[in-house]
Amino acid sequence: MHYIKLYFVCIKRSMLSRLEYKKDSVISILSFLLSNACALGSIFFILQAIPSLKGYTPAEVGFFYGFSMLPIAIDHLFSDEFWLVAYRRVQLGDMDRHFLRPIPVIFQMFAETFQPDGFGEVIVGITMIVICGLNLHVSVTFGAIFVLTIGAIFGALIITSFKIALSSLAFIFKRSGPLLQIVYNFTVYAKYPIAIFPKVVKFILIFILPFGLFISLPVDTLLYGNYNPYLLSLIIIGVSIVFFTLATLIWTLCARRYESTGS
Amino acid sequence: MRRLRKYKPFVRASAIDMMAYRFNIITWAIVTVFEVACLIFLWLAVYQSSEGGIDSSINGFTYKEMIVYVVLTTIFGFITFNDDTLWFINRDIRQGTIGNFLIKPISYRGKFIASNIGAFLMMSIVFGIPLYAAGLGVLIGIGYLPVASVWDFIAHFALFLVASVLACLLNGVISYIFGILCFYTSAAWGLNALKTTVISFLSGTLLPIAFFPNVFREIVAYMPFAGMSQNPVLILMMKYDYLECCKVILISLAWLVLLELFAKLLFSRAIKVVTVQGG
Repeated sequence: MHYIKLYFVCIKRSMLSRLEYKKDSVISILSFLLSNACALGSIFFILQAIPSLKGYTPAEVGFFYGFSMLPIAIDHLFSDEFWLVAYRRVQLGDMDRHFLRPIPVIFQMFAETFQPDGFGEVIVGITMIVICGLNLHVSVTFGAIFVLTIGAIFGALIITSFKIALSSLAFIFKRSGPLLQIVYNFTVYAKYPIAIFPKVVKFILIFILPFGLFISLPVDTLLYGNYNPYLLSLIIIGVSIVFFTLATLIWTLCARRYESTGS
Repeated sequence: MRRLRKYKPFVRASAIDMMAYRFNIITWAIVTVFEVACLIFLWLAVYQSSEGGIDSSINGFTYKEMIVYVVLTTIFGFITFNDDTLWFINRDIRQGTIGNFLIKPISYRGKFIASNIGAFLMMSIVFGIPLYAAGLGVLIGIGYLPVASVWDFIAHFALFLVASVLACLLNGVISYIFGILCFYTSAAWGLNALKTTVISFLSGTLLPIAFFPNVFREIVAYMPFAGMSQNPVLILMMKYDYLECCKVILISLAWLVLLELFAKLLFSRAIKVVTVQGG
């Protein structure tokens, strides 16, 4: 309870400093919307030339695209600070104050920034889901909605776990941003149904970097009823808890190696 | 000639800078390989799903040509689009150093052109030669890029080099125009993102302009962006005959002149509103 209160105090401070750059935020949100419109436009232009993409109609592909934005956006809202840890803060020895406070450092990282840009992604994602969903003519079951919600929330937790684990490597190597970037960029694969990829890539997307597990499989459950939604939800929750536990463990181990600049 | 000599240090400085900044090239390479692989899988699925099967041609591109296109636009973008123009203008405004340039006997715009050329030369020599050699070697070797005659290839390659230089300069002037907008908004991050988005979509980097719907396609083909990625790459792929090559190069040249004039006008207006914070 105490931590929840603390979180909101910290976030309020972070939002106040963001207000300094209002115009900047408006333009970034605008450019973000435009870049999504362009990416979507591209996909639709491609799909117009073919009857369907491995059996997926344009509306279904659009639904995938929209849904894939949700876990990514939720992660973006809460854990943006880990990018700075990976790229700069450890290298600059700029984490001293966090280690001196009687609060877990990992909690402080979450509380350090709240990234409202993520709301833009949430809005675009949900809009896409609604527009494409209405064109889909599938029977919407409670189970499907349930597994999609679980996929979005716990999927975000899996992405965050990767961020925590990889950024904490900076405590050992001073800078782990590039590595984090490489792994994070695999989210480009998450935008499409995994059915379009070769077997090896499918395997990676389910068992190693499980973007397919919490994006592709839940959507397939809605569209085709391929999987049992409750069993799938349980697996997603289980996997995310394992990832998060491992990530915090790695963070704790690596953080012991933190060195101040001494100045 | 004499007047140009004073810009030589800028060419050199930015060429050296380029090497310093590119030490994270390995990251770029790995990220790009995975992204290109994703695109190739996507196109493979698209062609497999098309009515005529994998060997059909969609909007004038076969599957093999599409892979060649994806690979070459990626290399092309890496070599050609290395401008920090927008960031430098933003920094000059924020730190007030723009004042120094206004009293120096060199043109502010000229400095950036010199830097763009320096960066482009350095990237072309250090990374361009090996990347294009390896890329073209493999693509021609596995028969994805058929070469009718060696002379035809050499002629197209020469035209490609001309188009590349124009693409680099066009990219520079567009960055400069977006940079000048920093005078009004100081939203450099957003403006840079906006610029990147517009360029990557309208230049055919995301997908060839032939895939755009009818009227839109005709308009985009005559915009300056097409000359910044799609046209040079299609010249290199020998998809254009010589007449078309000359046509697209002339269009780029005309746009370059027009945009430079526009940038000059915009700058002379913007400089009156500049507010230096702190100086």
